[in-house]
Amino acid sequence: MSKAASRANGASTKRLAEDGDICPVCKSSRYLNPNMRFRVNPECYHRMCESCVDRIFSHGPAACPIAGCKRTLRRARFREQTFEDLKVEREVDIRKRVARVMNKTESDFETLRDYNNYLETVEEITWNLILKIDLEATEKRLRLWEEAQKAEVESINSTVSRRLHTATDTVDPQSDTARVILKKSGVQRKALGPSSANTPEPGAMDTGLKDTGFTFAGLKKRVAPEPEKPFDPYGGWNIEPQYYTVMDDYDVDFISGAKTDVHHLAGGYDIRDFYSRALCEAFSGFGVFVEEEVIARENQASGDVGVGTQTAATVADGGKEVNMDDIF
Amino acid sequence: MKFFIDELPVLFPYPRVYPEQYAYMCDLKRTLDAGGHCVLEMPSGTGKTVSLLSLIVAYQQFHPEMRKLIYCSRTMSEIEKALAELKGLMKYRTEQLGYEEEFRGLGLTSRKNLCLHPSVKREKSGTVVDARCRSLTAGFVKEKKERGEDVELCVYHENLDLLEPHNLIPPGVWTFDGMLKYGEQHKQCPYFTARRMMPFCNVIIYSYHYLLDPKIAERVSKELSKDCIVVFDEAHNIDNVCIESLSIDLTEDSLRKATRGVNNLDRKITEMKSTDAAKLQNEYAKLVEGLREAEEARDENAFMANPALPDDLLKEAVPGNIRRAEHFVAFLKRFIEYLKTRMKVLSVISETPPSFLSHLRDLTFIERKPLRFCAERLTSLVRTLELTNIEDYQPLQEVATFATLISTYETGFLLIIEPFESATATVPNPILHFTCLDAAIAIKPVFERFSSVIVTSGTMSPLDMYPRMLNFSCVVQESFTMTLTRRTFLPMIVDRGSDQNQVTSQFEHRNDPQVVRNFGNLLIEFCKLTPDGVVVFFPSYLYMESIISMWQGSGVLDEVWKYKLILVETPDAVETSLALETYRTACNNGRGAVLLCVARGKVSEGIDFDHHYGRTVLCMGVPYQYTESRILKARLEFLRETYRIKESDFLSFDAMRHAAQCLGRVIRGKDDYGVMVLADKRFGKKITQLPKWIQMALDGKNTKLSVDQAVGSAKAFLREMSVPWTRGQMEGTSTWSLEELETHQKKQKGMGVLGVEERRAEGRAVDVVMMERRETVEVTEVTEVDEFGGGEDMDALMGDMDA
Repeated sequence: MSKAASRANGASTKRLAEDGDICPVCKSSRYLNPNMRFRVNPECYHRMCESCVDRIFSHGPAACPIAGCKRTLRRARFREQTFEDLKVEREVDIRKRVARVMNKTESDFETLRDYNNYLETVEEITWNLILKIDLEATEKRLRLWEEAQKAEVESINSTVSRRLHTATDTVDPQSDTARVILKKSGVQRKALGPSSANTPEPGAMDTGLKDTGFTFAGLKKRVAPEPEKPFDPYGGWNIEPQYYTVMDDYDVDFISGAKTDVHHLAGGYDIRDFYSRALCEAFSGFGVFVEEEVIARENQASGDVGVGTQTAATVADGGKEVNMDDIF
Repeated sequence: MKFFIDELPVLFPYPRVYPEQYAYMCDLKRTLDAGGHCVLEMPSGTGKTVSLLSLIVAYQQFHPEMRKLIYCSRTMSEIEKALAELKGLMKYRTEQLGYEEEFRGLGLTSRKNLCLHPSVKREKSGTVVDARCRSLTAGFVKEKKERGEDVELCVYHENLDLLEPHNLIPPGVWTFDGMLKYGEQHKQCPYFTARRMMPFCNVIIYSYHYLLDPKIAERVSKELSKDCIVVFDEAHNIDNVCIESLSIDLTEDSLRKATRGVNNLDRKITEMKSTDAAKLQNEYAKLVEGLREAEEARDENAFMANPALPDDLLKEAVPGNIRRAEHFVAFLKRFIEYLKTRMKVLSVISETPPSFLSHLRDLTFIERKPLRFCAERLTSLVRTLELTNIEDYQPLQEVATFATLISTYETGFLLIIEPFESATATVPNPILHFTCLDAAIAIKPVFERFSSVIVTSGTMSPLDMYPRMLNFSCVVQESFTMTLTRRTFLPMIVDRGSDQNQVTSQFEHRNDPQVVRNFGNLLIEFCKLTPDGVVVFFPSYLYMESIISMWQGSGVLDEVWKYKLILVETPDAVETSLALETYRTACNNGRGAVLLCVARGKVSEGIDFDHHYGRTVLCMGVPYQYTESRILKARLEFLRETYRIKESDFLSFDAMRHAAQCLGRVIRGKDDYGVMVLADKRFGKKITQLPKWIQMALDGKNTKLSVDQAVGSAKAFLREMSVPWTRGQMEGTSTWSLEELETHQKKQKGMGVLGVEERRAEGRAVDVVMMERRETVEVTEVTEVDEFGGGEDMDALMGDMDA
C-alpha cells in the first residue's frame, strides 16, 4: 500500500511519508489535513491517523488494517506516540512491564556487585523480550517471578496479620483501650510497608523451595517487620488498683439513701463513681514509702543517671518493686 | 640586575626595574610564602610577565623543593610571548650565574601547531589533525603492527619510544619554533615530547583550557603535583572560560548525528562479536571489577575525555545494566530518543537537573546512576572497539557528556530548551542549552588541588568580585598602577554633546537623532585632532551597523573620510584581519585611520594598538551584555541567590571590565601615550568599577565633559605629549636602577608600615579619597621625589625621617 502511494506521488511524497506525514491507511497527508494526529496501538505499533482509528475501531475490536498484520486491536488502547522511533516506543513499553516486576533496589542486595549482576540480568530479560528470543520461556519465568514475589509479600502480610491476631489474643479482650490501640498500630504497620526491617528470622519464609523463575545471588530475604508492641500510654505502669477491688454495690447505711434519691439520680449521678472515688482516696498512698523514695532521689541526684534510668526501665517493664496506686 | 627581596635573590633580565614590578614581585613572594591564592591587577605594558617569571624562577631555584610553575595564558601569541620571555630570562641567569641550571621550560599547544608528520600537518582543521594523529599513534595501532598487520604508523611518534622516557629533550627553554626544529632534526614528535615531558618540567606554559576544561584537564594535567604554582594570566575573563567549559548546546542536527553515531557503534559491536568476541568479553570483565582498573589501561592517547567526575564515582563499578556493550548502545539510543521528544516543545522550557532526571525516569526508565557513568562507559567502549575516526562520534560524545553532567550536578546548572531562534521566528529550530551557571564548579578542582593559584590581569577591578564569583579566598589582593613622570594617558568621560543633549547608548535613546549626531560629532572631532590611529568601540554589532548607516545618511562618514580612512570589524575573522592589516598600513604611512569595532569582538580582546596604531580610543556607549538572553538571566539569578551578587552589580561589572579592556588597548607601555574617551552619561556613576590605574588618572574635572570641552583638553594633552622627552627623565621615579631600588628597600625597612606616599612610589593603587589629600601636598612631594632621584644624600634623608 505504501508502495502505491510512493508510485503515485513520486519522490517528494515518499520523503513526506518517511517523515511520517502521510497516514498509511487512508493516505491523507498533513497537506490536506493540517490537524492530523497519529495514533499507535501497543499491540503491533502500526501508525495510523486518528480519523482512521475512529472509522475502523469505533464498532468494537477489529483487525489491524496494515497489510500483513492480522492482530486484533481495540480502540481504547490506541494512544499518542511518545517517541519518534517506534522501536524505542516498544522498548519502553516492555521496560515498563519489566520494571513493574523487577523492582529491587540497591538496598535489597548484600553487595553492590550483586546488585549490578541483578541489573544485568534484568537487562537481559528485557532484551529477550524486545528481540523475541525465548519469548515463551522468558515470559514464563517472569510470571513465575512475579508470582513468587507476590507470594512472598503475601506471606509477609499473613505473618504480620497472624502476629496481629496473637497479639490481640494475649491482651485482655475486655479492655477497650487495648483494642483501639491495636487497631491504630495495625494501620501504622501497613503504612510502613513490608521492607522496613531486614533482620533474618527463621520460619518467616517458606516459599524458598518453589521455582521462582530467577535466582539472584546476594538478594536479601524479604522479612516481615517486627510486630510493634501495643501502645501503652502509661509506659508500663500498672494502673489497676492493687489493694482493693471495686464492687458493684456496697451495703452501707449512710449511702443507701443516696442510691435511690431522685435528686441525685436526676443529675446522672452514678453511685459506682462514688465508690471508686472513695476507695481510691482511702487507699492512695498505700505502698508508697517516702523514705525509700527520698533515698532513691538522692541516689539519682548524686549523678548516677544510669541507675536511675535502669530503675525507670524496670518500672516500665511492669516490675513489682514499686507499686504505684496513686494515680492522682 | 640582581637584587634581594627579603632573603630571596632575584635575577631580573633588565638593567632597570619599574617600581610597580618590584612591588608586584614582593606580593608574589608573600603569596608563595604564605601558600594561598592571590589576585593581582597590574596595567598592561608594565612587564607583568617578566616580573612574574623572574620571581617564580628565582623562587624555584632558591628553594630546594623546586615547586613547578604552571603558567596559563589565553591565546597562542601570549603563550609564545611568555616562552620567549622565559628563554631570555634563563639566558640572563646563565650569564650571571656562570653556569647552566638544570631547568626545563616547555609550552604545550594543540597537535595542529606541533605536528611534523608530512601529510597530517597539511590538514587545515584542528579536529582532523587530532583524529589523523590518533589513528597513527594510538596504542592498538601499534599492537596491530606488532601482530604483523599492515598499518601506518607515525615515524616521529615511534622514535620517541627509543629514547629515555624522562629525557626526551635536553634541558633548557623550548619555544614552539625551537621544539619544531629540534623535532625535525631528531625526527621526533614535538607534541608528544611536550606531553610526556610535562612531569619533568620546571615551567609549563599552556592555555587555560588544559587546566580548566575538565574534558582535557583529566588527561593533560593529571600528574601535576599539589605544590605546583599555578598562574592564570589575562584572567579577566576566567569566569566565562569556566562556564563555557562545562556548558553544552545540543541541536536537532547534533542529535541526528548522535543517532548515526550510535547506529555505527551498534554495527561495530556486531562486527566485533563475530570477529573478536574475546575483546568485548575482556572489557566486560574489567568493567565488572570497577572502572579504576579499566582506567589504568588508559594512556595519553585516550580518545574521549570524561567531564569532571567525583572520585567516588571512578572507584565504583559500572552499573550492571550498561555493562554489556549492546545494552549500553540501546541505553544511549533510548536517551537520545528521549532528548528528541523533549526538543519538540513549542514554548521555552527551563528546568533543573533533578526535574529533568525524574521526568526521564518516568518516561524511559533510565535511572540516574547509569547516566552518570555514560561518558566513562562510552570512552571505554570506543577504546575497545578501536575506533579511529573519532570525529564522527563527536556529537555522541557530547550527548554522553551531557548525560554525565546533568546526573552529577544538582545545582549550578540549568537546562533551557528554546524552540525558536528568535522571538519572531515561526519555524522551530530547537536548541537545548545545558548551561553551567556557577563558574566556581570548573575552577574548584584547581583551587583545591594547588596550594598557590595566582590570578592576574591588566583589568580585574573590582578585585573582590573574582574571589566571590569563583568562590575562593585569597591571601593577597592588590592593584598596581603605572608609575609615570608625566601623564601619558588622558581618560575622559563625555556625557553630552556640544548641543548639551545627552550622549548614551541606552536602549530607549540610542536611535534618537540627536544622540546619533552627538556620537557622530565626537568621532569627527577626534578624527580631526588625533595624529594617527583612532579606535572606536561599540556595544554590539547590531548597534554599530545601525549607527553607521545613520551616519552615512547624515554625512558624518563623509566628514570623517576627509581626515581618516574608515575600517570596520565584522564577525568574519578573515575580513577583520584584512581590515586590521589595512589599518596598520594606513597608520604607518602617516595618514592614519579609524577602526570601528565591537567591545566584545576579537579586536577588543587580543589586538594591541601600541604607539601610533592607537592614539585615541573612543568607547561609544556602555558595553552591556544582551540582557534578554535566557542564559544570562538564569546566571544572574543564580549569582544573586548563591553569591549575593546583585544583577545590576554583575552587569555593570561585566560591562566595565570590557570597557576597561578596550581602553587598555592603546596604552601598551610607559613611553606610549593616548586619549581614552568614555562616551556615555552612565559612565559617570561607574568610575569606581574601572581599574585603579585608570581611576587614578581620571581627574574629577574630566568626568563630566561635553564634546567640545573634551576636544579642548585632548588638544592640550596632545600638545603636552609632543614636547620632546627622553627616557632619562623617567629614571628615579618610574624606573629604578639597582641603587635606587636598594635605597627604597632600606627606606621601607625603616618605615615598617607603608604610608600613602610609599604605596604610590611603589605603584600600588591608592584610594581616590587618599589621592585628593595628596593633591594638597603636591608641592612638597615634588621636591621630595627629586631628592630621591639623587640617591647620594640618602643617609641624611633617612636620618630626617627617623627623627
